[in-house]
Amino acid sequence: MSSLKQLIRNENMKIYRRPRTWLMIGFLVVVLLIMGGVMKWDESRSSSSDWKQHLTEQNAQIQMDLQQNKAVDAESKKWQTNTIKMNEYYLDNDINPNKLSLWDYVDNSASLIMLVTILTVIIAADMIAAEFSWGTIKLLLVGPASRTKIMLGKYVSTMVFALLLLLISFAVAFGIGSFLAGFNGLTLPHLTIGADGIVHEGSMIVNSLQKYGYAIVSLLMYVTMAFMISAAFRSSSMAIAFSLLFMLVGNTLSMILSGYGWVKYLLFSNIDLTQYLEGSHPLRPEMTLSFSLLMLAAYYVVLQLVAWLLFTKRDVAT
Amino acid sequence: MKEAVLQLRNVTKKIGNRKIVDDLTFDIPAGEVFGFLGPNGAGKTTTIRMIVGLISMTKGEAIVNGVSVSKNFELAMTHIGAIVENPEMYKFLSGYQNLVHFARRHSGVTKQRIDEVVKMLGLQNRIHEKVKRYSLGMRQRLGVAQAILHRPSLLILDEPTNGLDPAGIRELRDYLRKLTREEGISVIVSSHLLSEMELMCDRVAIIQAGKLIDIRSLQENKETAQSKIMIEVNDLQAAHRLLASAFDETRLSVNGDQLEVSSDKAAIPDIARLLVKAGLDVYGIHAVKKSLEEQFLEITGGEMVV
Repeated sequence: MSSLKQLIRNENMKIYRRPRTWLMIGFLVVVLLIMGGVMKWDESRSSSSDWKQHLTEQNAQIQMDLQQNKAVDAESKKWQTNTIKMNEYYLDNDINPNKLSLWDYVDNSASLIMLVTILTVIIAADMIAAEFSWGTIKLLLVGPASRTKIMLGKYVSTMVFALLLLLISFAVAFGIGSFLAGFNGLTLPHLTIGADGIVHEGSMIVNSLQKYGYAIVSLLMYVTMAFMISAAFRSSSMAIAFSLLFMLVGNTLSMILSGYGWVKYLLFSNIDLTQYLEGSHPLRPEMTLSFSLLMLAAYYVVLQLVAWLLFTKRDVAT
Repeated sequence: MKEAVLQLRNVTKKIGNRKIVDDLTFDIPAGEVFGFLGPNGAGKTTTIRMIVGLISMTKGEAIVNGVSVSKNFELAMTHIGAIVENPEMYKFLSGYQNLVHFARRHSGVTKQRIDEVVKMLGLQNRIHEKVKRYSLGMRQRLGVAQAILHRPSLLILDEPTNGLDPAGIRELRDYLRKLTREEGISVIVSSHLLSEMELMCDRVAIIQAGKLIDIRSLQENKETAQSKIMIEVNDLQAAHRLLASAFDETRLSVNGDQLEVSSDKAAIPDIARLLVKAGLDVYGIHAVKKSLEEQFLEITGGEMVV
């Protein structure tokens, strides 16, 4: 009888012995490097020598606007006062906000988790479907491993691949950051203005990990969806196409339909948890973080169940 | 019959209202090469896929060495090695990596065992090449290697000769003989190629429209019964009259310019004496074994196989 550990080793062998996996990893690294380069180039364009003077001028300008009551609504008024507070904090602590720190590079790499998701979706879509198109599924299933075990092995390896890509992007972004901005920024605080209207110093690494964390939720859902479609339809192109389609139009679709109450039950309406961060609005006013987490958990269970049923119960006749 | 390595009990597969496989119950004795024979669409492949769990059974049970495949799949599969149709391997892996892949599924397949199997099938020279560069014959050998790594007691091959050239088929036949001899493995082979089965198998089950028609031993067949005597004489009519008095009329027939008698060769001396005494010129009398094909056509009522 097969042990799960050995099955995972097999799946890993099949992932990493394929040249295209390394092409994907290479592509991710190149994109990260380019992004770092572009950020540095952009920084060098804005003159940073007279940043103190610039901030002081900006503050004076906003102050004047406020007094003249140019801003109409309370929202922008709040934003303006916050900007002034932030700028004063920068000036007091001698922090140049235009100068990129190590953490800015890491923070920005979180936006590339979209790419990590797409790459993992491609791998996930192939996990089961490719065995069918190669014809190897017959030999794979005719062995002392139950289909449930084989499927679990495949799912675990897919997730390990996703984790690997995340670690690579974090490490590469950290590397570029420390190369281009030095380690000086390592101890810089993450600044936020709380409800009390005071500037708070937070931990930069916690902030970065938080950004990664939210992105990982959508990664988990889309990859699981691709895996499910792969198991259900036994076609990798279909799995890739549907998952990417949902990724690209899902958000927009939810936005368009946000007038209807039932939209909150759609997967895409709940997948982006950053809508619950301070300063953003959820898709519908009645939606809460715990509601979304509950919906995501329900979708996750259903996807897994459908995939499992279709993979374990259906005959392999071709 | 020897002890059974595989027992089929009321194995049935229904798709919609159609019974693809209808209530198969028989035992497959250990230590033999056992053939599933039948026209295309008779249910051979479906039966084999049910035995290895690729297709679920509507009813019934397959028991390998006393372990039910449907009830205890993982344990049952440790006794089985299988190739279903052409063995498709991972083309981007080397032959050796493919074997490692399949070996990992079993507990206790050592590196030595992999090397031993590689040598046994004569793959050692190209085992580290990528499988995409292998010929079909070599893939077939790699498939057999994969199937016997864990020393199964039963090897199941579904249409193993599909797509192989005559040399490849002969090679496969030799390996199967070697395996039954050296590893004591029982083998189940399905095919629609009668001549192949005749050379390969000790015993065949004939399946038609999902039903078991007959099981016969090909070994016994070779020595006794099911033979006929061909007689060449100058006057066929006279010979026919003459022999009709000695044999049952129904056992005689004229086949071209020869007279055919359904009988074994023990009858040849009597026939010779009769014909010579009657003054007929005898050019030849010889016994001919009925081929499996003829027997098969008799049993299945003339339905041609491919």
